[in-house]
Amino acid sequence: MATLFGRVFSGSDEMVRRAEEALAEASKQFADSEPVAFPSTAYYLACLYAMSGIKVTNLGELKASMEWIKSQMTRENKTHDIFTSGVATACAAEVIEACKYIGNPDPYGHDPLWGHCTDAEVRELGVPLVTGDIPGFVVFIGKAPTDEQALKLVKDYQSKSVFVFLVGEIIDQVKKLGMKTGFNVRVVPLGYDLWSVSHVVSVAIRAALIFGAVQPGDYDGIRKYTFERVNAVVNAFQPVDDMTVACGAGAISLGFPVVTNQRENIWSVPKSLIIQEDVDKFVETSLEARGIKIKVTNIDIPVAFANAFEGEIIRRGDMQFEADGSRVDCLELVRTKDASQVEDHKIVVDGPDFDAFEVGSKISMAMVVDVAGKKMQSDFEPVLERKFHAYLNCIEGVMHTGQRDMIRIRVSKDSFAAGLRARHFGEVLYAQIKNEFDVVADKCQVTIVTDPAKVSELRKEANAIYDKRDERLASLTDETVDEFYTCIMCQSFSPSHVCIVTPERLGLCGAVSWLDAKATHELDPSGPCQVVEKVGVIDEEIGKWDSVNDAVRKYSQGALEVVSLYSIMEDPMTSCGCFECICGIEPFSNGVVIVNREHAGVTPLGMSFSEMASMTGGGVQTPGFMGHGKHFIASKKFMKAEGGVQRIVWMPKALKDQVAEKLNETAKELYGIENFTDMIADETITEDPEALVEFLTEKGHPALSLDPLM
Amino acid sequence: MPFKKKPQTFSAAIKPVELGTGAKATVIGGENVLPFYTFDAPIANAPKIGMEISDTMMENAPARLKAFYAGCETMADMAKKAAEVPGVAFLALHFESADPNGADTSVEDCAAAAKAVSEAVDLPLVIMGCKNNEKDSELFNKMSDVLQGKNILVLAAKEETYKAVGAGAGLAFNQKVGAESSVDINLAKQLNVLMTQLGVKPESIVMNVGSASAGYGFEYVVSTMERVRLAALGQNDTTLQMPIMTPVSSEAWSVKEAIASEADMPEWGDVEDRGVDMEVVTATAVLAAGSDAVILRHPESVAAVSKLIDQLM
Repeated sequence: MATLFGRVFSGSDEMVRRAEEALAEASKQFADSEPVAFPSTAYYLACLYAMSGIKVTNLGELKASMEWIKSQMTRENKTHDIFTSGVATACAAEVIEACKYIGNPDPYGHDPLWGHCTDAEVRELGVPLVTGDIPGFVVFIGKAPTDEQALKLVKDYQSKSVFVFLVGEIIDQVKKLGMKTGFNVRVVPLGYDLWSVSHVVSVAIRAALIFGAVQPGDYDGIRKYTFERVNAVVNAFQPVDDMTVACGAGAISLGFPVVTNQRENIWSVPKSLIIQEDVDKFVETSLEARGIKIKVTNIDIPVAFANAFEGEIIRRGDMQFEADGSRVDCLELVRTKDASQVEDHKIVVDGPDFDAFEVGSKISMAMVVDVAGKKMQSDFEPVLERKFHAYLNCIEGVMHTGQRDMIRIRVSKDSFAAGLRARHFGEVLYAQIKNEFDVVADKCQVTIVTDPAKVSELRKEANAIYDKRDERLASLTDETVDEFYTCIMCQSFSPSHVCIVTPERLGLCGAVSWLDAKATHELDPSGPCQVVEKVGVIDEEIGKWDSVNDAVRKYSQGALEVVSLYSIMEDPMTSCGCFECICGIEPFSNGVVIVNREHAGVTPLGMSFSEMASMTGGGVQTPGFMGHGKHFIASKKFMKAEGGVQRIVWMPKALKDQVAEKLNETAKELYGIENFTDMIADETITEDPEALVEFLTEKGHPALSLDPLM
Repeated sequence: MPFKKKPQTFSAAIKPVELGTGAKATVIGGENVLPFYTFDAPIANAPKIGMEISDTMMENAPARLKAFYAGCETMADMAKKAAEVPGVAFLALHFESADPNGADTSVEDCAAAAKAVSEAVDLPLVIMGCKNNEKDSELFNKMSDVLQGKNILVLAAKEETYKAVGAGAGLAFNQKVGAESSVDINLAKQLNVLMTQLGVKPESIVMNVGSASAGYGFEYVVSTMERVRLAALGQNDTTLQMPIMTPVSSEAWSVKEAIASEADMPEWGDVEDRGVDMEVVTATAVLAAGSDAVILRHPESVAAVSKLIDQLM
């Protein structure tokens, strides 16, 4: 019985035998001193040169190089040997090709067969490969089941900007159907013989030499570079003979997966040798196998898509219909799925389309985006989901407000008349998520549901997911995580400020929660949010860790040495200037007042928000003053070192109302106080410190009996 | 008590970057002390001056600059003149006319002009673009191709273009790559990190951390340079240890102090004197803040700044 090892070895032997034949044939015509070179390259026979370090310049040296090639074809039946044999097969193929170029600088004629690619062409291809404008390249070998399938596959890759190389009969198949080929259209037919595949191996390997500055002869260095940086994949049609299998082993050794529709005498190897019987699915299978991500450059919708439309208001009279979550079932949801459950760019409309609704009607609508990706985490779902608002608002004639199952979407009559339909919502969500979250979203599919019964069903599922997320958020405490994050987004204007973002202390701007920081770090690993491992505890009570101090010192460029996360008096966290609120100590009552940015009046400290801001911002530590986000007010870590939220004695009424529910919960849990916010004064009660103390005394406010703050 | 000198040298140093080839090759960076602190430790490579030759600057050039380049028809002619000015270590060819919203000179024509310059003079070359991201990426890659082996610097890759420019100029053609950020230490740092992740060697990167003319938000520029330098030396931040090159001329010669005519502003005096003053003042300040090289336009500015550098070193 044949084995994969056996087939590789026999194919490898066959290629070497043919190389020796070609050399013998060449020797009849030429002396050993006859020059041997591919045109316009500084890398000799690139495969051979890169893998062995051997520089071949004439026929004698070419013959001698066979010794090295054979030395790579060890037969211990170990995985290592099929890989080295595979690479040797590619080198032997290159020898055969080199023989064609002896005494003939262009044996292929470039019409349409290309053969060798010059260094200039490698550079031309290499730059867009590095920038991602060409996301990868594919090599076809053999003959597709039908001409139409061949054309469809090539065009599909072409439309995704993937560079295509053709080897074998597929060249005639696409030619017959009138396809244009050439370097400029990114479809290059190399040659009919299998060994012409060595020209594309040469391209991949020269990419490592040129762009990776890998030294020739550094066998593992080349393989490492091609594996990590060259997004190539092989598509081999059945029948796949032994020589093709041997070349495939070479490709796999360089990190390029092989996808084939052959079933007999082939053995699938996860992530490397993939059997896909349905040729029409080659593209999807290949992109997934090599992890090639496609950029979406234009969104196919009949109306404009731009930031300019973000603030557009659609009045009732201009409205074609609306989806109103407060009246009927509506929702938006991102779900993390396994890669096998997501078909990339699949957009499904389940239920009647927009043209089935009467003008002015209220429709049920659910937008469900399923995302799969190696780096996707369910923690990122809300981060992605929150962007729906911005994405949909950027569509001309669409207004979106709210989130989760309390959304409201209006579509204008004009945009409806221009042809905007449910599918286009899917296109927009797909394109934007793939573009903005490409690091985590390998695959993405969108389902727009307008069938009211189905939306109601989905809403139950969605509510369960929302609840689970809320539980996760509630259970996220500083104690339960292993890492905090820095945020230095504001350093452009506050150079020494560093935010340390923890689950219970969000960024002082209110815009960066711990989950946001985590997602930002994942999406932009060298960006403003960096991991701070929670190690080296100094004092957990006031929130001091060695690692936090190290991070603050590093990211403030030495301006700050020590920060305590839970204290307002001892080394408090600095502020940039974007704080939502400022908290400052109020000496008469032994407590603190909090004032939010929106509040224009003065506080019992005799200062307004802006006057307090001038003392708090700029990245300096001012004990007694602290900038923070609104959500921090109800946190159990809010000035925990000084006794926590029971120190709060005054807040503007609007802010108090906003945080009341959560703050009361916290106060009840920590101190057993019911309706704590009733004890907190506001501007309708007093702005005078003495009257404040009177009010607090009357209410029995706990701050009055706490240890002195100063 | 006698004065006891305590040199403040740093264990970290700025990476030296060589530009050009042959006898006229020049090195910027390499120091392990603050700018001009030669009393702390010797500075091997004095700050360098490059002369800017823009393909549009003669249109509105002031009289003495016009006279200096009198009789020059091509960029190569101008380069020969500029190369003779004492104190000039490199030439900065500025292809402003490549702007698609302007004359839209083709990259082939620009490349031919640069190639002619490289044949006429042997000074190191810096290539500056037209500030259009797409065109500049194309331009820098073409220049890197036609000037292969000349060890040029393209000024510069930005956040939007670093992949194309880094891969082309830095990797494919092994030239030096500028990293341009806009007056923000973290953006400067991030761009260096991204470029090195792409595979560009740290010793092939020169930073342009942003510039402004003196008086035009200039304190931000100075503060950024100082912080970059202190982080590089004081904290051994290897991602910020690239030398800084600051294109002064394009900023200095575009502010009203440098271009308002004497007819409009009689009390300000000679317009060309003002332009030179703006250029000299801005250049000396960025050198003091941490720039290892400046790009200047006027031969009189070159003379003044060159004298300053000589006397301080």
